[in-house]
Amino acid sequence: MEAIVVKELSVGYDERVVIEKLGLSILKGKINVIIGANGCGKSTLLKSIARVIKPQSGAVYINGKDITKQKEKAMAKQIAFLPQEPICPVGLTVRELVAYGRFPYQKSFGGLSKHDKEMIDWAIEETELQEFAHRKLDTLSQGQRQRVWIAMTIAQETDIIMLDEPTTYLDLSYQQEILQLLSKLNQTAGFTVVMVLHELNNACKYGDNIIGLKNGKLICEGSPCEAITKENLSELYGIDATLQISENKQYPICLDYEVTKKVALVG
Amino acid sequence: MKEIRIQKIVILLVIFFIVSAAVYLSWGSYQISFADIFLTFIGRGNTFQETALLNLRLPRMIVAICVGVALATSGGIIQTITKNELADPGIIGINAGAAVAAILVVSSQTIYYYHQLGSFSIYLLPFSAIIGAAVSAGIIYFLSSHKGIKPKKMILVGLGINAGLSAFMTFFIFRGGVGEYNRVLIWTSGSLWGTGWEYAKILLPLVCVLFGLVLLNYKKLDVLQFSDEHITSLGLNRNNERKKLLTYAVVLAGGATAFAGNVGFIGLISPNIAKKLVGGSHKHTLLVSALISAIIMLCADAVSRNLFSPIEIPVGIIISIFGVPYFMYLIIKEN
Repeated sequence: MEAIVVKELSVGYDERVVIEKLGLSILKGKINVIIGANGCGKSTLLKSIARVIKPQSGAVYINGKDITKQKEKAMAKQIAFLPQEPICPVGLTVRELVAYGRFPYQKSFGGLSKHDKEMIDWAIEETELQEFAHRKLDTLSQGQRQRVWIAMTIAQETDIIMLDEPTTYLDLSYQQEILQLLSKLNQTAGFTVVMVLHELNNACKYGDNIIGLKNGKLICEGSPCEAITKENLSELYGIDATLQISENKQYPICLDYEVTKKVALVG
Repeated sequence: MKEIRIQKIVILLVIFFIVSAAVYLSWGSYQISFADIFLTFIGRGNTFQETALLNLRLPRMIVAICVGVALATSGGIIQTITKNELADPGIIGINAGAAVAAILVVSSQTIYYYHQLGSFSIYLLPFSAIIGAAVSAGIIYFLSSHKGIKPKKMILVGLGINAGLSAFMTFFIFRGGVGEYNRVLIWTSGSLWGTGWEYAKILLPLVCVLFGLVLLNYKKLDVLQFSDEHITSLGLNRNNERKKLLTYAVVLAGGATAFAGNVGFIGLISPNIAKKLVGGSHKHTLLVSALISAIIMLCADAVSRNLFSPIEIPVGIIISIFGVPYFMYLIIKEN
């Protein structure tokens, strides 16, 4: 089942074309990981799906419906997006920030409903932030802050959550913590996860469906074992990679690599 | 806990507001005691008290409050939309645009100056100032939006347009005679001199309606503090909302500037003080910054009327004297 279908999508900034006639599917109930070199159009793809950028041509369907034919609020109840560098209004506590996830459900006047409060509590519990709920966001560590943003994203009560590089700027243990959290949310709460990751081994370990992009075009798509091959990595990043299968034989691990051609710098 | 703190602050500010309003009405070259103010309001004052209070001080007080509320609200909107706490209505070119329009009117009016002081003349200056404000805001909006408003670009374009218009203003002042020069100078410094019921009758409903409209949008303003991606993802059409709220900001600040001239700094400091006192939610900051601004306007105008009496100093100058140190403090703290 597809949660999102992208058809013949072309996106660009002024003259520069970033994505050209791209077609791909995001699988429902799975963790979909988008990989690719810098500037390959990963973030642009997420922003187009989230309607932040208007595509030049082509279409995006979420749950079978064209995104341009729906109201903003209706869309916000189907898909939540955590951008790469979110801005937090000054002086908010964790709970206040998470409460913003309920905005699509609120009337322009009045407080939070009982259901809103339940969803906020649930989001804070799922992300294990109970003890920080009344702390100011700027008193938290990077990893904790990222968990708060994820709590706000899931409080939006959507089937699909999109995250743009959720582990960038985090150290190794925090990276695993965030990815384990997303994996748990996927398995227990049934979220369809779409995210951009830079770390190949994390992508393989946590991803069910890998999407490899280069210069705005689809290079590979499929399970980690299908998509992450020596040939595809050479095509995607211009590297000669040494791969090995994981102990549980579920996904490939990249042990080492050498740069062969400087494709990444040209793209 | 937090709600109780905010309630206390609001109650305290309301008390301050009532006290400053009472002092404002009582203090002047003709002193009226608080008891007499009360008696005059229920129709038992003498003729002098009635004239001073009901015909002079009360309308001027209403205009002062309206100007304060309008500029604070406009400043608050602009700071949120540009995501810059040092932005104020001047950034969207309102003050400079209104001032240039006013100067053009004043300098083209010189021939008729003495025999055209009817009601038309009372409204001509404010009316043309509003148009000037709208035109310059429109130009800044047009130049800084390419497929949607770019907040950062708006600040830079605003600064540029302001500099250009100020040069134009200086040029006209040099060309004009002493008479116009003075009139323009008072106006561009921001003054409530000579305001009566004619101004209050227009400004009061205008500010009430717009302040209400802005308050109705407090949740949207809160969401507009996030990044563009987040705003869209939360289901808000960011360009439409920004356009709508900027229009409210232009009308509020344009209206205030039209009647009171360039009252600087108040649109900058009031929202900032409010944010320090009650935090980031617009539900509280809009109300608190309006209250603070009204109190500042009342105090500053009372001082400007009385300190060097019978000479009146423009209220904008009094506010600037206190506003500049605060502005410096903000900039130093920012680094």
